[in-house]
Amino acid sequence: MALQDSYKQDPGRGDLDFDVIVDQFYAPLFRFAMSLTRAEDEAADLVQETFLTWAEKGRQLRDPARVKAWLFTTLHRAFLRVRRRIVRFPEVEIVDTMDDLPRVEVDHVTRLDALEAVAMLSRVDEQYRGALALFYLEDYSYQEIGEVLDVPLGTVKSRIARGLNQLRRIMLRRDETPPSGKEAQ
Amino acid sequence: MNREDAKRTLLCYRPGTADASDPEIAEAIAVCETDGELREWFADHCAFQAEMRKKLRSVPVPGNLKAHLKASVRIVPVPMWRRPHVWQAAAAALLIFGGVAGLLWKPATLDQFAKYQLRMVGSAVREYRMDVVTGDMAALRRHLAGGGAPADYEVPASLKSLQLTGGGVLRWRNHPVGMACFDRGDRQMLFLFVTRRSAFKDPPAEKPQVSRMADMLSVSWSAGDKCYTLAGPEDSQVLRKYL
Repeated sequence: MALQDSYKQDPGRGDLDFDVIVDQFYAPLFRFAMSLTRAEDEAADLVQETFLTWAEKGRQLRDPARVKAWLFTTLHRAFLRVRRRIVRFPEVEIVDTMDDLPRVEVDHVTRLDALEAVAMLSRVDEQYRGALALFYLEDYSYQEIGEVLDVPLGTVKSRIARGLNQLRRIMLRRDETPPSGKEAQ
Repeated sequence: MNREDAKRTLLCYRPGTADASDPEIAEAIAVCETDGELREWFADHCAFQAEMRKKLRSVPVPGNLKAHLKASVRIVPVPMWRRPHVWQAAAAALLIFGGVAGLLWKPATLDQFAKYQLRMVGSAVREYRMDVVTGDMAALRRHLAGGGAPADYEVPASLKSLQLTGGGVLRWRNHPVGMACFDRGDRQMLFLFVTRRSAFKDPPAEKPQVSRMADMLSVSWSAGDKCYTLAGPEDSQVLRKYL
């Protein structure tokens, strides 16, 4: 059952069906959490905390169209809280990221499996990682990413650009490393 | 818009999304039509973006996660009707709303300790990882102390008869939590979680309270400056005998 349908069935009850919401969003939320933490346990904990928060406060949300953004925002805040990194990252300009953008062939990515790709992403600086993860995992607009992360549009773009730059460098370094020297994980 | 401007703009472009409708990106794509080198760069970039997106979206999700999430919110942290504040709230509601109070009833929200409990038990249900494998409680205490977790905890007398298998340090909102794992001998494990009482605004009472969550039961209590949670896949009577 789609979320909208679930809501339409009984809009007067003032809440959305919990099981439907879990069915629809637990996998993308887990993947987002994995991108942030890289650790399956931590990611599962974050997803669990997100849904618990939903169970507590989500029923206050009347608009089913906002559920997805609400869940992603809540998960991201939980992640920041856990890391004690609730600070405003300085807004950075995109201008200086282009001069040395490394070229990475698509084969670099094709050779990775999904968990290796997450491992690469999780090595990107934390301040860029959330934007980059949402950029790839969801079809969010930059504006929506900004709402989830609570940062302005320009910051979203600069974080994506810088994160992408780092990601490409990480991939290149990995391929330059001899097999015996690759990461244990 | 020159080539470098276009590259800068197109860096944030994702093929197959609505990004192309952004006027700035649309302008940069138009520049590609007249610049062969840029067009080649853009094609590579699109292939990279599409492949990366595909990989990240195929990250496997633990098979039991969905069921665990659905089960976890059906937790009954403590018998709600036994909580004094519930009675007070109900009395107030009755005074105000009279007979319609029942119609306005909403499930009470989970408190912070319940979240902690659920997180700890969830760790045990999904996959518990022991930092140290040891049958020596003194060695485990040293390890926990090294990780900042309480090490001077009291092990319930009946648990001492079980085989300690190891433990580790977990974290709850940056509070270190000590975990000790015991083998009951019938291929079932019991988990004792200990953390400081000051970590909670609503620590459990000194009298043990039973909660059911996911596929496990847990018993929680406070003693001194610590909070204890004992979790295991059993009924409450069996669990209580280890207290």
